[in-house]
Amino acid sequence: MSQTSLPQELCEPMARAIRLEYWNIFWTLTIIVTMGLVLGQSETMKTAWIEDTLGLVPPIMFLIAARMERHSHRSRRFPFGFERVNGLGFFVAAVALTAVGALLLYNALMALGTQEHATVGSIVILGHDMWLGWLMLAAQIYSLIPPLFIGRKELPLAKQLNDKLLHTDALMNKANWLTGAAGLAGIIGLGLGWWWADSLAAAIISVDVLNDGIKALRSSTAELVDGAPRALSSTDLSQDAQKVRDRLQAEFPDATVRLRETGRLIRAEVHDAHPPLECRHPRHYWPDEEERNWRLAQVSFIPPIKADEKS
Amino acid sequence: MMRGAAFAILLLGACDALPRDPAGTSTRIERNRIFIVALADPAIRSAPQVSRLVEEIERRTKARARWRSGSGESLFQQLDEVKIDLVIGRFTADSPWATDVAFAPALSTSGTKDAPIELKAAMRNGENRWIMTVERASRAISQEARDQ
Repeated sequence: MSQTSLPQELCEPMARAIRLEYWNIFWTLTIIVTMGLVLGQSETMKTAWIEDTLGLVPPIMFLIAARMERHSHRSRRFPFGFERVNGLGFFVAAVALTAVGALLLYNALMALGTQEHATVGSIVILGHDMWLGWLMLAAQIYSLIPPLFIGRKELPLAKQLNDKLLHTDALMNKANWLTGAAGLAGIIGLGLGWWWADSLAAAIISVDVLNDGIKALRSSTAELVDGAPRALSSTDLSQDAQKVRDRLQAEFPDATVRLRETGRLIRAEVHDAHPPLECRHPRHYWPDEEERNWRLAQVSFIPPIKADEKS
Repeated sequence: MMRGAAFAILLLGACDALPRDPAGTSTRIERNRIFIVALADPAIRSAPQVSRLVEEIERRTKARARWRSGSGESLFQQLDEVKIDLVIGRFTADSPWATDVAFAPALSTSGTKDAPIELKAAMRNGENRWIMTVERASRAISQEARDQ
């Protein structure tokens, strides 16, 4: 049994995920700087820039959680280690996404309501006057490329590690083309003289941020209040957990099976059932392929109360 | 090869086509051959940069300037109502109007280092093609504007 919270099998994929998240932060910083240089007064650009900046939250939270999971040992003060730090990081990222998404949506709607006309003037580059909008478009196109590749690489690792934080980040990165397309349309619309295009594109991007935040918030709070394990990408119940429940229920038909999730691990309580006579590791009850049996960290049995104990 | 050249030509054409003005300021000036200018402070009429800027805009738009009198706040109101196309005046560098109108680069700066006062043109927010025309004209006639 590992003295840290991370199962031994996950050390190698975790190291790969950490390397990837450092690259993710590096490329996100290049996008933030590029976008920041050509921000102007455009609502679309400001919203996209804030969204890109927010994109740093999940990888940073992931790295903090991974460090604690890998290096912090179980102790008297933290006997269960830090396996829930990832869940806490997921919650913090979800709160940040939701709050900023709501604020951005409010700003965009206010700009639409007050019919704000965004000014995007000219800039001199190598002695030539150029409309700043062209540079904004170039920055928007650049901002689409790194997340697409990083998201693709993150997704299989997130599944392997059953890491919701990494998975949310992967989906946000993969879906970035949508906000990028909205951003491009907003700037082109602004260039065509449609003053509302800028604020409308900003509203679309902020709805996307808000949507990501609410989904992540629902999933992360479910874990914090000991809800049944949720799927990686949605608030539905996890397939893995459903199979564990069915497996335990099949062997202990009269028992009540309760499952919860601590970080990436599943913990099961079998109520009103005696434990089997032979000694079994919790992984014994894992119903699926063996390489993911680390997911089931605990199976506890609570025997029924005897009649004389009831009084 | 041919496709690439055609795309490049298309792109260059598009470069000139954008931006356009939501309230159609540039199109109106091109059609009527007149743009309306007001001075926020009548005393600056004698400043050489003011007449040079207006002449440069006239040259670029092939339109004539029509002068209108007025003062400070009411001029910005008229700018917003598309009754005036350009307001030229001396404004503080951190003017509170900066979010309500679009300022072109400063033609010249006076006042103290802590509270510089800039001679510059103000346009209606969002009229991006017209704003670009005035910005280009400001840079063409002033080294200070070019350096910003």
